[in-house]
Amino acid sequence: MPTMQIREALRAAIDEEMARDDRVFVMGEEVGYYDGAYKVTEGLLAKYGEQRVVDTPIAETGFSGVGIGAAMAGLRPIVEFMTFNFSAVAFDQLLNNAAKLRHLSAGQFKLPMVFRGPNAAAHMLSSTHSQAFESFYCGFPGVKVISVATPYDAKGLLKSAIRDDNPVIFFESEVMYAVKGEVPEEEYLIPIGKADIKRPGKDVTVITWGQGVSVALAGAELAAAEGIDCEVIDLRTLRPLDDEAMETSLRKTNRCVLVYHGWPYGGTGAEVVDRLTRNCFDHLDAPIERVCYEDLNMPYAENLEKLVLPSPEDALSAIKKVSYRD
Amino acid sequence: MSEATAAAPTAATDKDELLRLYTEMLRIRRFEEAAARAYTQGKISGFLHLYIGQEAIAVATADLMKPGDRVVTTYRDHGFAIALGCDPGACMAELYGKKDGLVGGVGGSMHFFAKDKGLWGGYAIVGGHVPVAAGHAFASKYLQDGAVTLCFLGEGAMHIGATHEGMHLAGLWRLPIVFVIENNQYAMGTPLKRQTAVDDLTVRAPAYRMTSDRWVVRDVFETRQRLARAVARARDEQQPALIELLTYRFRGHSMSDPAKYRTKDEVESWKERDPLYRAETALGAEHGMSAEDIEAIDEKVWAEMDGAVEFAESSPLPDPEHRFKYHLVEEGED
Amino acid sequence: MAKIVELPRLSDTMEEGVIAKWHIAVGDKVKRGQLIAEVETDKATMEFESFDAGVVLKLVASEGEAMAIGTPIAVLGKEGEDADAALAQHGGGGGGGAAPAAKAEPASEPEAEEEAEDEAEDEAEDEAEEEAEDAAPKAQTAAKAQPPAKAQAPARRTDERIAASPLARRLARERGIDLANVTGSGPHGRIVKTDVEAAGSGAAARPAASVTSGARTFVSRPDEPQKLSQMRKTIAKRMGQANAEIPHFYLTTKIDMDRAVLARQEINEAFPDAKVSFNDFILLATAKALVQHPEVNAYWDGKTIVRRGDIHVGMAVAVDEGLIVPPIRFTDQKTLREIGAEAKDLGTRARDKKLAPDEMTGSTFTVSNLGMFGIEEFSAVINPGEGAILAVGTIGDEVVADGGGFRVAKRMKATLACDHRVMDGAVGARFLQTLRGLLERPLAMMA
Repeated sequence: MPTMQIREALRAAIDEEMARDDRVFVMGEEVGYYDGAYKVTEGLLAKYGEQRVVDTPIAETGFSGVGIGAAMAGLRPIVEFMTFNFSAVAFDQLLNNAAKLRHLSAGQFKLPMVFRGPNAAAHMLSSTHSQAFESFYCGFPGVKVISVATPYDAKGLLKSAIRDDNPVIFFESEVMYAVKGEVPEEEYLIPIGKADIKRPGKDVTVITWGQGVSVALAGAELAAAEGIDCEVIDLRTLRPLDDEAMETSLRKTNRCVLVYHGWPYGGTGAEVVDRLTRNCFDHLDAPIERVCYEDLNMPYAENLEKLVLPSPEDALSAIKKVSYRD
Repeated sequence: MSEATAAAPTAATDKDELLRLYTEMLRIRRFEEAAARAYTQGKISGFLHLYIGQEAIAVATADLMKPGDRVVTTYRDHGFAIALGCDPGACMAELYGKKDGLVGGVGGSMHFFAKDKGLWGGYAIVGGHVPVAAGHAFASKYLQDGAVTLCFLGEGAMHIGATHEGMHLAGLWRLPIVFVIENNQYAMGTPLKRQTAVDDLTVRAPAYRMTSDRWVVRDVFETRQRLARAVARARDEQQPALIELLTYRFRGHSMSDPAKYRTKDEVESWKERDPLYRAETALGAEHGMSAEDIEAIDEKVWAEMDGAVEFAESSPLPDPEHRFKYHLVEEGED
Repeated sequence: MAKIVELPRLSDTMEEGVIAKWHIAVGDKVKRGQLIAEVETDKATMEFESFDAGVVLKLVASEGEAMAIGTPIAVLGKEGEDADAALAQHGGGGGGGAAPAAKAEPASEPEAEEEAEDEAEDEAEDEAEEEAEDAAPKAQTAAKAQPPAKAQAPARRTDERIAASPLARRLARERGIDLANVTGSGPHGRIVKTDVEAAGSGAAARPAASVTSGARTFVSRPDEPQKLSQMRKTIAKRMGQANAEIPHFYLTTKIDMDRAVLARQEINEAFPDAKVSFNDFILLATAKALVQHPEVNAYWDGKTIVRRGDIHVGMAVAVDEGLIVPPIRFTDQKTLREIGAEAKDLGTRARDKKLAPDEMTGSTFTVSNLGMFGIEEFSAVINPGEGAILAVGTIGDEVVADGGGFRVAKRMKATLACDHRVMDGAVGARFLQTLRGLLERPLAMMA
């Protein structure tokens, strides 16, 4: 199987879907002539031309809204945010238009579109450029939310997202674009809403997504060295959540740790804990632990940033804690 | 453009004054070059947006500010910090993420703040600071403190909603503010012509009932003089203004930008207009300074910036507890 | 300022204790080092000497009452001082004096109350256990009680419920285990899955208080939960845990004791003042065999096998309330007579409850001998912390083939229980082979 970077897998997905359906187009800052701020859309302008690879000014509210309007009129836009930090500027468009127009129109419109781009902390970008947005975008109905951590998942899920008739928020990561992995040559789709076991195990369920996945896997390795066998579940889709996958694992292990990039207050992590606590109450042998950002605005300094971010060592201590081994 | 690019002779009749402003511009440039060097050595991470080519704007601005006046700018903020009198060592230490940084290492390159120097912030979300700057001016009018707010933005910020809402309110409420577009021709890699349907960004001014002005920044005196007019009207007449400065950054958008979107010729043509270069030439040609004299200044400035780097490198990392500070006002904090 | 006297930890495994006897009364003047009480621990009744001086203002704990380590038991101070105020300030369970810390009897009261009471113990036990682990090397210092290393958590108030994980509750429900009888090992004494599993088969039969009738009438008497001694509780917990966790397997061998009988006879005739027993022979042979088979003098520590550097053969001694295993330290380096003298002394003092805590712990291998009861053979449960245990039966006459004819021989059966995590069958078998060889040629063993 050929290996490729996540950025290449995403590009392949967009390329294949653009070739398959001429209503699919890409829009965003620097997606065309600059070949993408992170080179995800490299070469697409040359291949598909300006009509389908649309450079925008710095106008997130504007181009997000244009994407929504175009989707209502039958196109299938892929809207790129240079970073999801800038999507905050367009939040109203996503919250009040993308998520609501089908409902408000009683089904007269559908919004087959993808909002995608890097999310969460990269490296030393301070507070305005280091934020994880899943808690915001998972916090309201009317959208689907995906977060990928491998080239295989990136391609298969982005294709599914593009083909989905609903607005899909699709999270990537600056620091993971160069992550390599195997991607089959033949076409494949990964269904939205299905988690993936990235490491089977029997002692502790570690639930993770996005940038958390590599942290969780490294933490699981540390735990293995201490005799604790972790099952690492990559949620991949954050809305809707794959309750079955989480619950099946937890019923087996009786203990659970979440590892993710994001603040602890509320949000996706808290939602997972809430569901598992209610749905698997009688299977829990320890309170669920969360390993995520400290509840702080992200500092710039490298040493401080490191403290705020979740680490494999943090994951290990949480794994030991739920195992009563601390 | 013809009017704006009309001959702008170096108005420097006073050698000392020119020398002072030249040195100030040179300090910014050398600071930025020192930062670029540190970045390439892997000593600075994150995004690093350099001000090289635009120094005259910050120097002219700093020169005409009165106590209480404020500058609000973008993430390309080092130049203003140096021009407004911030210690280059503290600025460099901030880029290094060190304890002695301008804000103790929490903000980095894109988020400089030095309230006591009149730098009310470098903002990293495009356009997000424009309404905030209008708010500073709103307070000045409310408090009648006589202060003017100077809000700098890139031409790329002219296309985002917050900018227009902020300008609209400033015009509606007659706020003492000057909006200065530093049009360095590229919003990251996108040239102006693919960003906007108009050539002249000041055409927006009448829509918000602001006065406007527009020129190529070739000369630090001219820039200071024309900015001063707008600032005076804002201060004395509550007349907001929108100014477009045609300028150029000689480096990429940030250190990670190879800037392949522009030609060598274009860069060279702008170097002819570089106010720093022109000031240097004038010092020689019009004021008889020798190449050695100018070289000596450069060496002095380099020494200062090398000192700043040394200071940054020897500064300790921030205390781990520092990360818990300043998220909210705590008991006993001012 | 009045001083609170707390129930001391007097053994490394002690989790709670009972004041067996007070030696002081309110109004008495107490000096430092004065005997103030006898405390029944899980192992023995210990003398408790005061760390403080003062007049006894109040006795908080009464005789026979079980409580957690660290529970206030008395208040010393100056005459006229307010003991209750001191207790209230102390924040312990004895505030006001009216509410004793916690009762130990497994009550047959409604479940909630029962849970609540034992809950208090559970937490305290847990804390004590953690501390025991921390302080283990230091803790083995004679009978003189050490002050607790850090402030002990007061026993939990009786209106709190049992802390147990949801899973532990469900398992307990499914297996009919009363959580009140389970000690929690989690934070704050939380009962977790492993605790319930360890409690395992210890489910109490439900009393059926009915008189059966039919053609005949039978008398039915209700089941009676017994008040447990501290020692019984500890044995129940440790043996339950051992049986649940350790994968036991058993090897039995038959040993010709003819020569050992003769040897013993000769030795005892030579030294009539210091008679040795068969058990002493077995202890010595065991130690010598362990020297040759260090893989048997080992245990499973949760992650790996730990081979013990020293050989301390413990001898199981039956006492009134249960069983203790005093070790004969460095058994392999002692003579038969030294072993005999030490075994005798330990046995006597064990039955008199006079052993110091460190005299009751530390064995690396245990020999349990029920020969005196005429037991032919039996299998024993491995003492946690050890990898095997030798169960020795009686020495009896047996007709054995001898050349073309037959003769009567002295024979003894011994069964080795092994932890399969630590050793496999062949390892245990080789050990038994060596042991048998040593006992069948005792002279060589003593050379």
